Amino acid sequence: MADFRHHLTLYLRLLGAQIRSQGAHRTSFILDALGSLLITAAEFAALALVLPRFGGLGGWTLSEICLLYGLAELAFVLMDILFGGFDAPNLSAHVRTGSFSTFLLRPAPLTLQVFASDFALRRLPRVLLAAAIAGYGLTHAPLAAVPETAALLTAAVLGMICFFGGLFVIGGTLTFWTVDSVEAMNVLTYGGRTLISYPMDIYSAWLRRTFTYLIPAAFLSYLPALHLLGRPLPDGLPSWAALIGPLAGPLVLAGAFAFWRVGVRHYQGTGT
Amino acid sequence: MIHVEHLRKTFTTRTGRFLSAGRRTHEAVRDVSFHIPRGEIVGYLGPNGAGKSTTVKILTGLLVPDSGAVTVGGLTPWQDRRRHVARLGAVFGQRTTLWWDLPVIESLRLLRHVYRIPHATWQANLTTFTDLLDLGPFLHTPARALSLGQRMRADLAAALLHDPELLFLDEPTVGLDVVAKERIRDFIAHINREREVTVLLTTHDLGDVERLARRVLIIDHGQLLFDGDLARLQAAYGSQRELHVDFDGPVAQPEVPGLTLLSHEPGRATYAFTGAAADPIARVTAHAPVRDLTVREPDIEATIRRIYEGDLLRAGIR
Repeated sequence: MADFRHHLTLYLRLLGAQIRSQGAHRTSFILDALGSLLITAAEFAALALVLPRFGGLGGWTLSEICLLYGLAELAFVLMDILFGGFDAPNLSAHVRTGSFSTFLLRPAPLTLQVFASDFALRRLPRVLLAAAIAGYGLTHAPLAAVPETAALLTAAVLGMICFFGGLFVIGGTLTFWTVDSVEAMNVLTYGGRTLISYPMDIYSAWLRRTFTYLIPAAFLSYLPALHLLGRPLPDGLPSWAALIGPLAGPLVLAGAFAFWRVGVRHYQGTGT
Repeated sequence: MIHVEHLRKTFTTRTGRFLSAGRRTHEAVRDVSFHIPRGEIVGYLGPNGAGKSTTVKILTGLLVPDSGAVTVGGLTPWQDRRRHVARLGAVFGQRTTLWWDLPVIESLRLLRHVYRIPHATWQANLTTFTDLLDLGPFLHTPARALSLGQRMRADLAAALLHDPELLFLDEPTVGLDVVAKERIRDFIAHINREREVTVLLTTHDLGDVERLARRVLIIDHGQLLFDGDLARLQAAYGSQRELHVDFDGPVAQPEVPGLTLLSHEPGRATYAFTGAAADPIARVTAHAPVRDLTVREPDIEATIRRIYEGDLLRAGIR
């Protein structure tokens, strides 16, 4: 317990150092923040302007899509802030410059130090925008009045943070072997995020099934959203599948950290 | 403090693209054994790629060997990483452990928490090191704005705040001017003497070794070639002195009986000899008229070059 407290405060201290370091480059920080905010804003504005012309997308109204889109964006950006140290470009830079060795030479848990090695505060404006989009969806979509609404939405966001965090950890771990694999991983990470920003039933069956059963992305927010909107689940899945769906996130994350340990052992075997 | 027995490490590099992949193996460390008692400063020498940094990576726990036993203060480095690294300090000349964009003092504060150093210990060490290394003028400067010498001093302080028993130094004076080198060497000698910190020093700068280490380990092609006193190294392998002769005009026959001719040009010659200089000088002056003579003592640099180049001790004197 004392250890846990120490580690938590150490994490916060290292994060503080990270944030103060970013303050040393204020202009680039502000430009980064504006740039990343504009990307989300432009992407969403295009959707919001086009969608009403067609009266919706595959039977989904704008407000319903806002719910999916906002939740996915919110979770992804929060994940990006929290797991930035594991993001493949950052991690491979740590390995290349030797700061990864520096982590190994310090008597603090390795994962704690990697978590604390990047904290992209410049993404904060995007968090606010995503929360606003999700908030619009929540207040305007015809949600079924069920008691589990708040808990399920929270679980969906946490599940997505874990899921995409797991993909970041896997992508970062792969860089212990090769940097060539990073692009392939981005297809899953960024592709997966875009995919679950929209209702899955607009995709062809094979794509939807791949991202439901092979890569359990649909369980995270799509099934819970269907449940909250009072719609039936696809493939005749029982309604409890929507309730436990977000658990797919922590499972993926646990698997990712197991792979991470294999990667660190490989690193210590070859000393890249 | 450090026990290394029959250490081996082989690297496999893949060549070619992944389908036609071939594999090449490279034995970085071959059957290396040595012991370093507490409080000793040992110079670890060898040309680039000899296996020095592989050994150091294994000793610091960064790398796991293929076989062999390593204990550092009773712990196996790669099995007990966090307990092991809590007791060692490391300074690698080419990179810093300081937070690049933060003032030095903030890095030192963060390290207090990383190493869980009691506040009183931290404060006392900071005061001592600030004094010895003259950190005062740049404690509040970000690491990225320090000169190389200042950064090295700050890194040394950072590596020693937690009272480590063992210090790894890799090229601690590389790129520094004479004054800065001397200050760093003085500091290392001081903490070794006053705090009984064991030091393993890898360097290309033999000045570091001559000033600090009584004992040297020499490694080449992954094998330990020499382990012993600097003085013994000189006596055993540096024993050839050189006699540089300027003759009074060109000499037809530069060879002198009883002396080894190393090089010659018209009017000049260099001979190698062992022992006292009187006899060789007498032979040379008897051989031809001489204008000037100098005796050059073997230096450690030449000695070590001879060991690397000349397979002098493949078999080794251990």
